[in-house]
Parts: sequence; C-alpha cells; structure tokens
Amino acid sequence: MRKTIATPLALLLAAACAAGASLAQTEPAAAPPPTAPPPATEPVTATGPRGPLDPVGLVPYNVLGDSAQTATAASSFNPMISVILDGLFYRDDIDGAGSELLSEADGFHLHGADDGHSHGATEEGFSLRETELTFSGSVDPYFDLWAIFAISDEGLEVEEVYAQTGKFIPGFQLKVGQFYSGIGYQNAQHPHQWSFVNQSLPYELLFGGALNETGVQLNWLPKLPFYLRLGVEAVQGENPGVASYYGSDDDHPWFENQAGPRLYTAFVKVAPDLGYNNALQLGAFYGSGREHQELHDEDEDGVIDEAFQGTTDFWGIDVVYKYDSPRGYGQGDLTLQGEYIARGRDLDLVAEAGEAIDPVPVEFDQDAYYIQALYGFAPRWNFGARYDRAGSTNEVEGGEESGSWGATSRWSGAVTFDPTEFSRVRVQYDRSQVAVDGETVDVNAWYLQLQVSLGAHGAHKF
Amino acid sequence: MRHLSAILLLASLAAGGGSTAAEARLNVVATTSSMGMLARTVGGDQVKVTVLAPPDRDAHYLMAKPSMMVALRNADLLMAVGADLEIGWLPAALQGASNPKILPGTPGYFDGGAQLDLIEKGGAPDRSKGDVHPLGNPHYYLDPPRMAQLAGTLAVRMGKLAPAHAAQFEANASAFAKAVEARLPGWKQRAAGAPGVVFYHKDGNYLAALLNVPVLGYVEPLPGIPPTASSLKALVASLAGRKGVVIHTTFQPGDGPAFVTKNLGWTAQQLPLEVALDGDAAAYFSLIDKWVAAVASSRS
Repeated sequence: MRKTIATPLALLLAAACAAGASLAQTEPAAAPPPTAPPPATEPVTATGPRGPLDPVGLVPYNVLGDSAQTATAASSFNPMISVILDGLFYRDDIDGAGSELLSEADGFHLHGADDGHSHGATEEGFSLRETELTFSGSVDPYFDLWAIFAISDEGLEVEEVYAQTGKFIPGFQLKVGQFYSGIGYQNAQHPHQWSFVNQSLPYELLFGGALNETGVQLNWLPKLPFYLRLGVEAVQGENPGVASYYGSDDDHPWFENQAGPRLYTAFVKVAPDLGYNNALQLGAFYGSGREHQELHDEDEDGVIDEAFQGTTDFWGIDVVYKYDSPRGYGQGDLTLQGEYIARGRDLDLVAEAGEAIDPVPVEFDQDAYYIQALYGFAPRWNFGARYDRAGSTNEVEGGEESGSWGATSRWSGAVTFDPTEFSRVRVQYDRSQVAVDGETVDVNAWYLQLQVSLGAHGAHKF
Repeated sequence: MRHLSAILLLASLAAGGGSTAAEARLNVVATTSSMGMLARTVGGDQVKVTVLAPPDRDAHYLMAKPSMMVALRNADLLMAVGADLEIGWLPAALQGASNPKILPGTPGYFDGGAQLDLIEKGGAPDRSKGDVHPLGNPHYYLDPPRMAQLAGTLAVRMGKLAPAHAAQFEANASAFAKAVEARLPGWKQRAAGAPGVVFYHKDGNYLAALLNVPVLGYVEPLPGIPPTASSLKALVASLAGRKGVVIHTTFQPGDGPAFVTKNLGWTAQQLPLEVALDGDAAAYFSLIDKWVAAVASSRS
C-alpha cells in the first residue's frame, strides 16, 4: 500500500465551503438593490428546450429527476466522493521486462517487508492501474477527514486515511493517520497529479514509490510576509528503503524488536512572493530511521541469503518554478522542477544463508535526482521532458561487497492533452540505461495513458 | 548583537506579523479584483485589500500558490465570488493557510454568490454539459445592481468585524448603490434595441439580462470547452441572417470570434472582464460603460 491517484486536499475544504454556503450566510442588506434582479435569461435544465448550443449526441437520461440537488436526511451528510480511472497501454523493446528491470537496478533493489507496489511494474499491452476512490468531508467543527483507497488486482488498499485540523491555532495544522509525508515536492502527489506516467527515480528507487506512513504530522505557517512552512513528522516506520521492519520471529530470530515510531522527518519550504505570473518554492528535508531491516533472497529459494539491520538517514532539496501565462487553457504555462535525495544506510549484516552470524558493519550511500520541464505549447496541450539519474553516488563499504555500483538513468518525453479538468490523455516515451549486475541495459518504452476523474472537483494544487 | 536583534525581529514577526500602523485596518483578501473593488469601495480607508487572482485571466483556472496561502494566513476577511468559481484553488489555499478566522461558516468568510439570487441556478450537475455551475452563474460581477446589493451585505459584515466603523461602511455602500442607480437608465438607454450578443463564455449573461438584450449564443460549444471548426460552423449556421456582436474577454482567444464575425459580417469586441488590481468604483463604472457600448454596437 502506498501511493496512487486521488483527489487533492481541497475536497475537504470544498466540502466545508459548500456547508458554509448552505448555512445561509445571507444577511439583511443595508441598502436595497436599486432594481429588482433581472430574470434568468436561459434556464438550464436537463429536460429544458434544446438550443443550438446544447451538446449534440449523448445526453444522459435523467433517471433521478430534478431532485438530485435536494439534501435529504440520508444524503445531506454524505462526504464528497470521487473516482479516478488510470488506464495504460504499454510497450517496451525487452519483451515487457522494462519496468521490472528498474526494480533490480544495482544498489537499489528494495529488500523490505513491504516492497510497495511499484507504479512502474507494468505489463505490456492494456492495464488498469489503481482506481482511486476518495471520500472527504468535515467531521465536526474540529476535524476534517480524508479517506483515499486504491483498488487494483491486489484488492483494496488504503492509500491515505487521515484526520486533519487547522482550526485551533492560527497557522498550525495537525495530521493524524496514514498519509504521504510532506517531504520534498513530489512525495505527496498522487499519480494523477504527476506530469509523467511514472514516478521519478529518486522516489521510485529510494522509497519504493513515495514515503507513505502512519503517524502524525505537525506543520506551521508562521505569520510572515512570505511563505515559510515548517513541518515535523513522527511515523511508525514501515516504508521500504528507509524504515522496513520485520521484528524478531521464528523466520528471522536475528532481528531486533523495536517499538514505533521508528522514523522521524522534518521539512521546510520557502516561497518568495514573485507576483501573479511567477512562483518559486524551495524546500529541504531530513529524515532518520531508527530501525531498518532487510532480507535478501536473490535466488528466491526461500532461504535468506543475507539479513541486515541498522539505522538510516536521508535528506533532500527540491525546487519548483512556475510561470503562469495570461493565455487561456494553460497555453504558455511553464513549470521547471528538480529534486535531489541522498540516502545512507548504516547496517549490520546479522545473518547469512539462513543462519545468524556475528554482526558485520556495512554502510550504503546512495543518491538520486531528477529535473523536468513542462510547457503548454497549445491550449489544453503540454509537452514534458524529464531526466532522472539514480546512483551517481552508489557505494557500499564493509563486508565482502565493498565498492561502488553504476548509475541508472532515464530520459522521458511526454505529450499530454487535457480535454477538461476532469480528463487527461498522455503519450510518453522513455529511454533508460539501467545498471544491472555491472552491465548497462538499454530500454526503450512507450506509454499511452487515459485518466478520468468522476465526482467532486479536484484541487489545482501548487 | 546583530544576531540577537535579528532573532528578536524574527520572533516578533512570527508572533505578531509585524503590523503596527496597519493594525487598525481590516485585512481583506479578495479573490478577484472586482471583489477587491467592492471591498475598497465599502471599506474605504479602514481596509487593506489584497487580490488573489490577477485581473487578466480566468479566475477558475488558477493554482493554489504559496503566496495565496500567505495572504490568507494574515487575513481578517476573505471575500470570494463563490458559486464554485474558485473551487479549484480557494479550498486548497484556505486549507494551506490554516487561518480559523476565515474558514467557511465564520464571519471572516464572505461568499458573494451565497448572498445573491443567481441566474442559471439548479441545473443538472452533469459534466457532459461542460463545466457547469449548479449553484448558479458566478459571473454576477458584471451586474451593477447585484454588486450594489452585495455592497450593502458586505457593509453589514464589515460592520460586525469593525463595529466602530459600521456607519461609515453602510454610508459607503449606499453611496455606491446610488451611483449605480444613477447610471442605470443611461446604460439601458444606450443598449436599447440592440439585436443581440454572442459571448465567448457565459460571463456577460447578467449584463445582457439587465440591458434586456438577447444572448444569441456562445463561442464555446460548452462551458470550459474551446471551440472547434465544426462547433463554430454550427454556431454560424444557427445565426445566419441575424445581427449581433461577439464579445470576448482579454484572456479568451480571438480566433473563434474572428471566424464567427468573418462569416456573419459582424464585429468582435475584446474587453477586460475585471477592473485593474487597484480599480475603484469609477474604474468599475467605466468597465461597465465599455461593455454596454460593446453590446450597443450590435445595432450598427
């Protein structure tokens, strides 16, 4: 369970807005209107007269009649709901092994209790990625709730379920539950918010997709003339790559038990005010895992080849610049963004060939980054280019394996068409050079993607 | 020592926002510059107004930028157009700002659309009909009588937040309403008998209704969907033999309107939808003058 699609944070607030609006804030006007409000020119009804501007072709039959807008005892407290479909057609030039190969990139194989479900693991031909189901609304005057589920071949998984409040102390916000960490820029984005079909390599390879954990987050927006957000998180520590955890049991008695929370993070984001057309946000973050446990079974024979446990830490920086063009439908808009993440694992080799051994210290140091640009070249159309590189630093020290592995890199180009705010069609080409067992494998891959969102209006998040 | 003073400065900023002279004034955040105009007109020198959406683009398609959250974080009163116009970004920006004073349902949250009787209300919430607004048409800001009514409601609200100046707010609102009333007959007279107008989007509908001029169609085939060659041909065919004018805003592309006017022998007028960022009531009336003149030009 991890990442995926979903509707933005704002649904919640939108729910609150709707509630606020319906609470009839109407007040007696001090000055009566000089004239009566003019009559409606063109009543829009499902069954009303068809004019030349009404859509030709399919118009859904209005089964429910006109009562759809009336709140009843049963419906008035319903949360806002949305469903997002994410369909893919995929081809590569190594018989469909392209996405699988990435997870075997030298130094980046995730040996965790939960390998996540990599969004990159894609079959050739048609596939349906997770269908995202989102519920959100106000719980009471104090809390808002978000519940986002991913439905896939693996069943129903919790993507995010958290309560959030910002209603007590101005500028402070508390999040409790399972959520995407606030670190970095892209970490908290669901796949339908990505500018490309697949996740960038830093998140894919270092966190198995994203840092998604159960715990608490507190963030603070101090009262300043510019944007500064500070956040800290204490979470259980179960994420692949940085806080994988098994604990001690009959299958792996060599591991320690360690109560949660096992992972802490802190992040800061700064955005100077650059006016209406330009926006810039700079971020930095740090995380520390108190207990990280890995099992390696390369030949998959059920006997653990190697088991490691120890601590991890990671840090990163993120930069996003956006130019918002005055032209309509996104034409002329430009987004530039990049993130760098470094991860260190300070581990002990505690078992070999299924047997406990005297601990041998082994240290892993790795990094990854991506840079990307997105440009709206026509109304509703944009072009994106991205360069990813993982393992510029890719070192292991201690034990028998001391040395360094090669780097894995990828170029991506995508053309995206957004017919409306609720649908999106994308074609993408990836050219990857994946370091596997000391060799470099070239992979060419093609994607065709359709994403549609039904239900509540999503948020245009920064 | 320098470090110490820097730390003290930062601490005082964090605690109080560093406002001294501005303390007394209401910090109003308006989503659009029309709303900002109204806030300034009613609030006079008792308010400081920040506008979130630049006047030269569609206020529906903005992003919840960090700078908006800063403005909202420090606001005493938020003034939104409402009727889902800002639904894509205002809830997200509000959520990011964590300012309990301006959340929906509090006195600091003023939703203009919720105070007014909107047209085109209650349509089916069916997006196969484009970007529809079941709460009603949100573009009431081009309707001076409704804006006058809203000024009165706003004065009451501002009076609650700053009781010492309530009388001044109400006087300002009445002055604005009187100014609207004084201009109404002139606007109606200038547009009288105009055969009709084609808007790019439904943003001029209130004004057309006020002037009693029929809306003959829209350049967009559906709200939020840009025109195609075939939709434009269909529009031209439906208007053959009629007289009118095409009006589009500065952020709406001109090629669709150009196609329509070329084929019908009409003219197209491109106008700003909003007053300038710091526009006052006079700027608003001059904007309405321009729209009225454009509507009236369909007579020629």
